[in-house]
Amino acid sequence: MGKNCTLGELLIDQLARTVEDDTLVFHGFGSPLVQIALHVAKRVYTPNLVLVAGATYGVNPDPPFIAPTTNDWVHDRNSECHLSIGELFDLSASGRLGRMFLSGLQIDRWGNTNVTQLGRKTLKLKLPGGGGACNLSCNAKNITLWTAAHRSEPVKGKRRYRIVSQCDYVTGFGHKNADGITRRQLGYRGNGPQCLVTDLGVFDFDQDGHLQLNALYPHTTVDDVLENTEFEPRMKKEVKTVSLPSLEVLSIIRKLDPLRIHEKELLPGDRSLTLEA
Amino acid sequence: MSSREPMALIRSIIRNRVNGLTVVGSAHGIDIDLLCGANAVSASQESYVGFEQDFGMAHNYRRGCESGEIEIQDNCCYTLVQQLRASIQGLPFMPIQSVRGTDFEKDHPSYKTIQSPYSGEDILVVPPLTPDVAIIHAQYADLHGNLRIEGPPVVDLLFAQASRTVLATVEKIVTNEELKRLGGANIPYFYVSYIAEAPMGAHPTACYPFYAYDREHTELYMSAAKEGSTAFKKKYLKDFVYECESHEEYLHRIGGEDTRARLSSWKESTDAWMELYKEST
Repeated sequence: MGKNCTLGELLIDQLARTVEDDTLVFHGFGSPLVQIALHVAKRVYTPNLVLVAGATYGVNPDPPFIAPTTNDWVHDRNSECHLSIGELFDLSASGRLGRMFLSGLQIDRWGNTNVTQLGRKTLKLKLPGGGGACNLSCNAKNITLWTAAHRSEPVKGKRRYRIVSQCDYVTGFGHKNADGITRRQLGYRGNGPQCLVTDLGVFDFDQDGHLQLNALYPHTTVDDVLENTEFEPRMKKEVKTVSLPSLEVLSIIRKLDPLRIHEKELLPGDRSLTLEA
Repeated sequence: MSSREPMALIRSIIRNRVNGLTVVGSAHGIDIDLLCGANAVSASQESYVGFEQDFGMAHNYRRGCESGEIEIQDNCCYTLVQQLRASIQGLPFMPIQSVRGTDFEKDHPSYKTIQSPYSGEDILVVPPLTPDVAIIHAQYADLHGNLRIEGPPVVDLLFAQASRTVLATVEKIVTNEELKRLGGANIPYFYVSYIAEAPMGAHPTACYPFYAYDREHTELYMSAAKEGSTAFKKKYLKDFVYECESHEEYLHRIGGEDTRARLSSWKESTDAWMELYKEST
């Protein structure tokens, strides 16, 4: 049974629920929602998860709090051992990374992600870049996509969509690219993205590899999703409403992140949003 | 990103008016952004340059890329690792099981698809990467040049092995006996071309256990960078790089002993550590 929570806490819980037990999972940098979700998963849902921390490559760390930058030593506290950068990526290349979490300034209908640049032929905005996303998108066994900025309020009458029809640049490979090339044709080990968790709802990908709405939150509607998505996502026959996180999950999040670092990922207007049980 | 970046070396590179650099690395932030703000970079092969969710985009880097001053040749972490491994192992290329189908393949004509002579499957190969110079900041060195990095070394070990010249600054130069007592070297001396002692040489990034990340100074940096390239030169580069004739002068300008004490207070307690990262209101 749920208890009043914030949108950030709901997203963390939804991300945590996408992890399978007895797998090796890695979180990258700049993604405190995912970082905290993996700690929740390990403590509540999937105790045998091998949690590899982004940037420090510590295995099963137990940090006293979450800091604003991922490679801070605080996130490495109480790690039981360490991987090297090459070792982590080798594990992924050989099909031993169970799940990876990827995001983008653009995420398209086939699950491709873009963190490289806006503007296809001419550069409009240089984004920071994808780190290892390109490599991991191809061969991590399973992928969870997420964004906390699906809602795209119009600026001067124009929306810059986060969930787009086609990415300007493919940094991370989804189910197929604009040329119609599929991951099966490329012989990739990974299954590609299975779900997308956003601030408006939870999606999965249908048999064609196309985005499909799976569940909403207590405060969001199908219209919210349609209005804030550049194309019309497919709909599951029955679109459910997710349940709010348990008290146990909430207390873990609040204890781990007293500085509320994860809220920096949310849109400013969403940071104080409270969902009532 | 926010840890053990060779910032004193970078400030010195800028003061010496070095420019036209091609920079290559995995996930970076203020180090690359500072070089870009000083117009020292002409091509970037980084996999990430930014300030994560905390401060977001690297303004100087972004401006340089968008104006065309910096040629964008973005890389990805594992591609970079494989290219360094090819160089370290003396191989003409290294295969990699990813990248095909993404736009990185189109952007890098040097990546080629070949057929495996064993299974017949298509596989991408990438060329060796042998940087002219690697710059590294470590916690310790001994007088012989052996380096000891504490905490995650990330790509530093591979860069040290693959590069023609390795320049290193360290918090402290100790004897070989002392280095062994501390746990030993992880980069042997013969890779290392030059070392210099530069206490707080990674500031404003962290160099634990000596000092934590200076979020406050980074905030000041970001507000200057956000205003534009001219404002950045006037409000940041002038004060903290060009006018600092020495590393000592830089340390004085960032607040001297008070700042050092503030950043080393992380050791006292979890609360003290957290205090360093609270947002100023």
